[in-house]
Amino acid sequence: MTTLIEPSVEGAEPASVAADAKATGLGRYILVRFLLIFPTVFILTTAVFVLMRVIGDPITAAFGDRLTPDQLHQRIHAAGYDRAILAQYGDYLADLLHGNFGTTLTDHVAVTDMLRTYGAATLELVAYSLVVALLLGPALGTLAARLRDRGVDAGLRIFAVLSYATPVFFLGLLLKLVFALWWGWLPVSGRLSTAHEIALDSHGGASGILLIDTIRFGDGSMVVDVLRHAVLPAVTLGLLSTGIFLRLFRANLMSTLDAEYVVAGRSRGVGEYRLTTRHALRPALIPIITVMGLQIASMLSGAVLTETTFEWKGLGYELTQYVQARDYVAVQGIVVLLAVVVAVVNFLVDVLAAFVDPRVRY
Amino acid sequence: MTAVPHSPARPRRRRTSMRRLVAGSGGYQRGMVVAGFAITGAVVVVALFAPLIAPYGYGQVQDAGTYFGSQHGPSAHHLFGTTVGGYDVFSRTVWGAQTALEVIVAGTVAALLLGTALGLVSGYLGGRLDGTLVILTDAIFAFPPLLLAIVMSIGVGGGRSGRWNGILATAVTVTILFVPQYFRVVRAETIRVKHEPFVESAKVVGVPRARILRRHVLPNATRTLPLIVTLNAGGAVMTLAGLGFVGFGIEPTSAAEWGYDLNRAQSDISAGIWWTAVFPGAAIVLTVLGVTLLGEGLNDIRDPRLRARRGARRTRRAPRWFPPRARLDGTTGTPPSAGTSTTAGTSTTAGKPTFPGGRGPVPGTARDDELLAVDGLSVTFATDAGEVSAVEDVSLRVRPGEIVAVVGESGSGKSVTARTILGLLPETGLARGSVLVGRQDVLRAGRRQLRRIRGRDIAMIFQEPSTALNPVFPVSWQIAEGIRAHRMRGGSDGSGRRGGHGRPNRRQARERAVELLDLVGIPEPRRRVGHYPHQFSGGQQQRIMIAMALALDAPLLIADEPTTALDVTVQAEILDLLRELRDTRGTSILLITHNMGVVADLADRVLVMREGRLIEQADTVSLFQHPRQDYTRRLLAAVPRIGGGQPTPTGSPAPAGSATLPASASATDDDEAVVRARDLVVDYPGRLGQPSFRAVDAVSFQISRGEVLGLIGESGSGKTTIARAVAGLVPASAGSLRVLGAQLVPGGPDRSLRRLRRDIGFVFQDPATSFNPKLTIAACIAEPIVVHESLPPAEVRRRVDDLLESVHLGAGYGDRYPHELSGGQRQRASLARALALRPRLVVADEPTSALDVSVQERVLEVFRTLQRELGFAALFISHDLAVVDALADRVGVLYQGRLVEEGARHTVLTNPSHDYTRRLLAASPVPDPVEQAARRVARGADRGTGPRAPRQAIRASS
Repeated sequence: MTTLIEPSVEGAEPASVAADAKATGLGRYILVRFLLIFPTVFILTTAVFVLMRVIGDPITAAFGDRLTPDQLHQRIHAAGYDRAILAQYGDYLADLLHGNFGTTLTDHVAVTDMLRTYGAATLELVAYSLVVALLLGPALGTLAARLRDRGVDAGLRIFAVLSYATPVFFLGLLLKLVFALWWGWLPVSGRLSTAHEIALDSHGGASGILLIDTIRFGDGSMVVDVLRHAVLPAVTLGLLSTGIFLRLFRANLMSTLDAEYVVAGRSRGVGEYRLTTRHALRPALIPIITVMGLQIASMLSGAVLTETTFEWKGLGYELTQYVQARDYVAVQGIVVLLAVVVAVVNFLVDVLAAFVDPRVRY
Repeated sequence: MTAVPHSPARPRRRRTSMRRLVAGSGGYQRGMVVAGFAITGAVVVVALFAPLIAPYGYGQVQDAGTYFGSQHGPSAHHLFGTTVGGYDVFSRTVWGAQTALEVIVAGTVAALLLGTALGLVSGYLGGRLDGTLVILTDAIFAFPPLLLAIVMSIGVGGGRSGRWNGILATAVTVTILFVPQYFRVVRAETIRVKHEPFVESAKVVGVPRARILRRHVLPNATRTLPLIVTLNAGGAVMTLAGLGFVGFGIEPTSAAEWGYDLNRAQSDISAGIWWTAVFPGAAIVLTVLGVTLLGEGLNDIRDPRLRARRGARRTRRAPRWFPPRARLDGTTGTPPSAGTSTTAGTSTTAGKPTFPGGRGPVPGTARDDELLAVDGLSVTFATDAGEVSAVEDVSLRVRPGEIVAVVGESGSGKSVTARTILGLLPETGLARGSVLVGRQDVLRAGRRQLRRIRGRDIAMIFQEPSTALNPVFPVSWQIAEGIRAHRMRGGSDGSGRRGGHGRPNRRQARERAVELLDLVGIPEPRRRVGHYPHQFSGGQQQRIMIAMALALDAPLLIADEPTTALDVTVQAEILDLLRELRDTRGTSILLITHNMGVVADLADRVLVMREGRLIEQADTVSLFQHPRQDYTRRLLAAVPRIGGGQPTPTGSPAPAGSATLPASASATDDDEAVVRARDLVVDYPGRLGQPSFRAVDAVSFQISRGEVLGLIGESGSGKTTIARAVAGLVPASAGSLRVLGAQLVPGGPDRSLRRLRRDIGFVFQDPATSFNPKLTIAACIAEPIVVHESLPPAEVRRRVDDLLESVHLGAGYGDRYPHELSGGQRQRASLARALALRPRLVVADEPTSALDVSVQERVLEVFRTLQRELGFAALFISHDLAVVDALADRVGVLYQGRLVEEGARHTVLTNPSHDYTRRLLAASPVPDPVEQAARRVARGADRGTGPRAPRQAIRASS
């Protein structure tokens, strides 16, 4: 579920509205880019609302096969789903503005609570996988660009294509099969052994990010347990992102390594290593960072599937659970939250790219 | 495709382009494409013949009353085993290909059509619709695709999952997911293409919008679509599988779907049952791998920047003259001793010593008083068409304090020679011969020795300072880099001129940078040193490049077309700076240029190159006065000079012969001027509340019938904007503009303009882009005729052939494609197109500035002849005074959007009244060293007297 973006494809450059804004100074750029979050979120919220209501009301979807028509009608009326759709939409937006995402139908949890509980787990997984991806991707991509058209480059490209072609859940299943079941090196699923989980639960006051919680708890074996559980999911999701980073660095570095300013640097006696890591890398970072912002969406998709594969109880795992239970209030809540997260992260990434580019700064 | 005339044998459309691409590819990219084809083909075959290949149906759990059984391992009966539900895994995997193919086809076709149409219209029309669509698609694009797919599936399929419902829901989802990609790409391409001269030239002659979109924009905006289709095919499979995996699968009784099977296999995995997951998973990987390899391979091969380089492959076999770039410094031990067998064996220039394997100092050939001694240098490039020779047997010497010019037209090998001297050839290049710098042969130098020479013994200045300066580092850092590169290793080689004191500290480096900026005449160097390149003007950027080259006091500068990218007044300043460096510091300069005026201004000695060979060398004065070679003589004769062109015309604005006016020119108002501009103002709107930019400021002029008005100006003077305003391509903001009796401003270009189109011809600057690459020359030239006159195709073709004839291109050229013509030929064809309807006005925007002088001469000659014959009025734009002098009746001089002077050609160019015109005249170098020296003295005396003094005074210190 990655959206493949080959930066060499013309037109794959990021948002042109943002690009237009670039020439007009950093402050204005940030402001315009910030304001752009709102229509984006609004469009997505509306789209999600409309799509989820095309088929009817959530209650019928969830309980249609279990309740009598009378019971259904009662519950629909109680929840206000029989009112005019525009009125419902207005209420929905107003609720969102107040941070009220509703209550799940199947297990009666406030969506915001659910988001808070499981959001931390997702955050933890994404952080681990980013560590893997950032350790491998840029280094391998730089190597491939530098050793262009040689064996190493060809090998790395095949790796990148494979990482794109392999569904993240299939990779997860394979890793699980080999490392957890056949060889028994690592736990099969979950975030923590049950015994430790109970111990941690009784302690209370948890942040939800297990690495932090267990370190605070002060039990070394528990920390190790958390990390052992994290290895397979982190590698699974990390390899997907590694492929993306590798591609981005390779393609963009290849073009800056050919740039006249690199030749000019070489003509002054600057060494090849420094030409690569400084003269060519820095200008390449600008498009890399911008495109990376767009890739965050792909990574989140990957996170959902990874969590499902490893029963990592985060938002993605919950999402698939609710999807299977046809609890569309919960689904809608999770989707809208993630849409907001993506929009905000994209904004931050674009601002970062602007800071790297002196042509925007001055 | 309406009545487009073309020859009976429709030429050279490449049907087998796919095969050609594969054949033209090299190395592992060919492997990628071939593997991609094979895998994709196999998947498609399996999908199409699934009923034949699969032993059982996708929903079959029993055969002749016998149940398959649950979770049996692979066996002869069930190759891939059975699932928990008792299905045959092999059969379901095979049938899954069919489902995948259905989704791919339905989803990508819909997305392709929808996205392309939206992108095309949105990009071409722009405006509010475009803005809305961009925000909308960006929002979709930034949304996690899986989440969107889930929501879409709920909306479209209601979460239900019958066969067609499931496939349809997924196909619609895939469409919505991928429309933004097509939209973005096609929109970006459309925006690029719509400003291409060939589209604008269609607009100028009044081609209707729909026809422009269909014939010119669409065919040129879709080149990356095949790549995206393949990538999306992979994405579609992934989306389908992902949806199946999270629970939107199609019920096993309705269709086979890999993602659904993987979902079901999850619990099997925990029980150690691997076959239910591995086979469908592998099928997904294989399918996506196939289309991705295909797409990426094709993309690489089609894009010259990404293509595997022939030379890179070759180098593995043949030793090369410099260490492969593609190795990280220090990661590999020994650079290949380039000289060993091949180089020594091939550098057999008779009588010249060869140096077997020699990396050490070479005795002898460079005399002590020579900084640089090039002997028998030949350079070849490995290309797709085989080995191409760029430089053949060139020898040259540079002595201390000398300025040596290498002059030649494009393709003469002068720049390649310059780059070879510093070992800066791309990987595909191979050099033979010797290049001695001191006692070191560059061609045989190791990596370290090469680095020591670069910047310290020889420094280089590049043609385009805006690309040769790194945009993301401040100037101080970039200057320090060169110093740092040499001081760092001071201890190890011990021969550093500036001694080895280790790495310079930050403050020292900055001080040195300030000093250097001051030296090259950057005002306020202490403040400016921390600025970034884009904060300097083009001329200042070139000064900074020079400052960098001076950082280590290299005794020799190689200046590769150092002023070509600059305006003529700035060029004069840079040339002065270079001369002062030589005079005050004794720096030698190897000057690479195509400009005879620059040579005359600066050089002591001249070498003339042609087609890779050195054909003549002499000291500058004698070369200009007594050129020995015929080619040199022709080259010098072709350089336009002020006063050297046509005999002075009558000077009266009335056309020489009104009788020659073409009959087709309908007489609207004979007394009226063809163009009359009064206080014309053109503003370009600023972005997002920024103030708008005034490109043309209160300009008034007029062009009478049959008269040629030459407009002269430097970059940013507004000359091109005026040309475009007259042709109705840019709306004017204020003032009045009447063209051929139609009021363009005020009121804006209205419907009446459309009728006028046929009376205006436009010739664009860049011959490379002024023709639609997908159409033949004849079709391009015919377009105005086809649009405005309903003639039988044969008649159209006859007119086209006549037009080609009139610009001295045989009728045979009509059947060629633009890329098959040279730049000069294309500009002549461009003129033919402009004259297709016998216009009363021709607007020519720098039609010769991209051409070599000898070619330029011919194009100008054709223009002049036709103008006399047909008597059209013309607005001729140029930055070159001498070119305007050769053509114009009257001349206008533009400076920063204002017309500072206008009058009869002779008066303006020989007796200018405005100071800027005088400066312009003084700055443009004449191809005569003696006269140029005199002018230089005069200019020096004149400098700084006018109200608009030169932008920077040259403040050379010691």
